[in-house]
Amino acid sequence: MSDEKKSCPAPSKAEPQAERSHLPMWILALTLVLLYLGAVYFDHHGGWFDKEVYAPYASADELDSYQPKSGAAAALAHGRQIYEQVCGLCHGVDGLGKPGQAPPLAGSEWVMAKGVQRLAHIPLTGLTGDVKVKGNDWNMSMAAMGAALPDADLAAVLTYIRSSWGNGMGEVTADDVKAARTAIGAHPQPLSGEQLAKMPE
Amino acid sequence: MKNGFLVFVAAFVVLGGSWCAFVLAPELQLGGAKQTSVLNSSDVYPVQRPGDATLGLQVYRANGCAACHTEQIQQSGMACDLVVTSMGKNRAAFMQAMGEIGDLIYKNNPKDENLEDIVTMNKWKPGDPVRLPVFQNITKEIAAAASDKITTAGGKAEIHINATGADISRGWGLRHSVAEDFLYDYPVQPGSLRAGPDLAGVGARLPDANWQLLHLYAPRSVVKDSVMPPFRFLFEIQKIGEVPSPDALNLPEEFAPPAGYEIVPKPEAKELAAYLLSLRADVPLYDAPFTSLAASTNAPAKKP
Repeated sequence: MSDEKKSCPAPSKAEPQAERSHLPMWILALTLVLLYLGAVYFDHHGGWFDKEVYAPYASADELDSYQPKSGAAAALAHGRQIYEQVCGLCHGVDGLGKPGQAPPLAGSEWVMAKGVQRLAHIPLTGLTGDVKVKGNDWNMSMAAMGAALPDADLAAVLTYIRSSWGNGMGEVTADDVKAARTAIGAHPQPLSGEQLAKMPE
Repeated sequence: MKNGFLVFVAAFVVLGGSWCAFVLAPELQLGGAKQTSVLNSSDVYPVQRPGDATLGLQVYRANGCAACHTEQIQQSGMACDLVVTSMGKNRAAFMQAMGEIGDLIYKNNPKDENLEDIVTMNKWKPGDPVRLPVFQNITKEIAAAASDKITTAGGKAEIHINATGADISRGWGLRHSVAEDFLYDYPVQPGSLRAGPDLAGVGARLPDANWQLLHLYAPRSVVKDSVMPPFRFLFEIQKIGEVPSPDALNLPEEFAPPAGYEIVPKPEAKELAAYLLSLRADVPLYDAPFTSLAASTNAPAKKP
């Protein structure tokens, strides 16, 4: 140690200095390639930040293509929607009817008839006067609430009424509604319960 | 500092960029989330939890449930089921369509068990009971093509869309989780570790409050090999009074308190159970569509 103390320290080199240099070309190229691949991946998987598109869907179009568009369940849901808008106010969303307003549809012998022609006539012409529903007498008047609905929509409503609330009856097709409309003709008069009962099911 | 301004600008851009990506962008994307409607229905989703379930969310938080349970279901894909609902009147045309569909499915997946249904159909003779085929786990394109063939032949078919993935096959849910599932959660507790099962649909899976209480008091009384710690401090042991408490747990002998005593849940336990029952992310939404076979039991009966 003592020897070293005597010797002079060697003159140190100058502080290293950072110098600017050119960006290597390969880094630039790699960055661009990665950016491109990222953009392609985003294009295929990103869904364009649409808040409704989650994995595994890649785009709003793909999500749209998986929406159930047909089938009995969709038709039934459509019928329910119209029922609640048009019929539910008086007949109740539970189909139980309302005293002084409208008779029940749940378990009604008019709804659960074998054929659908009588049922299809009611919303197309309206109903007035005495009618017996589930053993009770009703004397109300119903306007032709369904006359303005397209055949397919009215068929969906009638299908909903016939298959809900434990009624468990079959489908009403647009053709059934069309047949009823043809039978009624251009100037519908509100039917009475008697007239309705005389009609074939 | 040399180039101080440049360093400041660079740091600002980097931090500001991450803030935009991780705070601003999600806020713009989902900040306006609100109630949405259930697919093909006039019901809205989600609905505000009842009061005790809202309190239960805080119990869930206080006990760190989210440390071991997630509330997010993952989904890896979609599969379609094609349910034939009517053969129509032209039996020959229908059988021809069945044959073509068999080819279509076989081309896609040579080992498909769906073919059995077609073979059974081919052996059908007048007078036999009709078992209409159901083609499962086919792609959307094949389902659409097959449905077209059946419709052209005069029959009718429905396409059902199911979510697929590990979580779905475990029975934890019917679809992936979406932002609306958490609309009324504060704080949102999606969790990240699954020491226990996912709870996003637990209210639909185990809808019995009594089961939930038993499980909280003594997990192994209802799930044999459960690794969940018992949460006994949410319950009280008390002497049975003149009449037993209506809330008292009906425990198996191994877990039961000494004779003359009963276990009753504290309000926290009841609130937590109410919260668990309110976790039911099981309705189809536009952003998470599905139609299950179970849902089609509501379909109209055949025309008489």
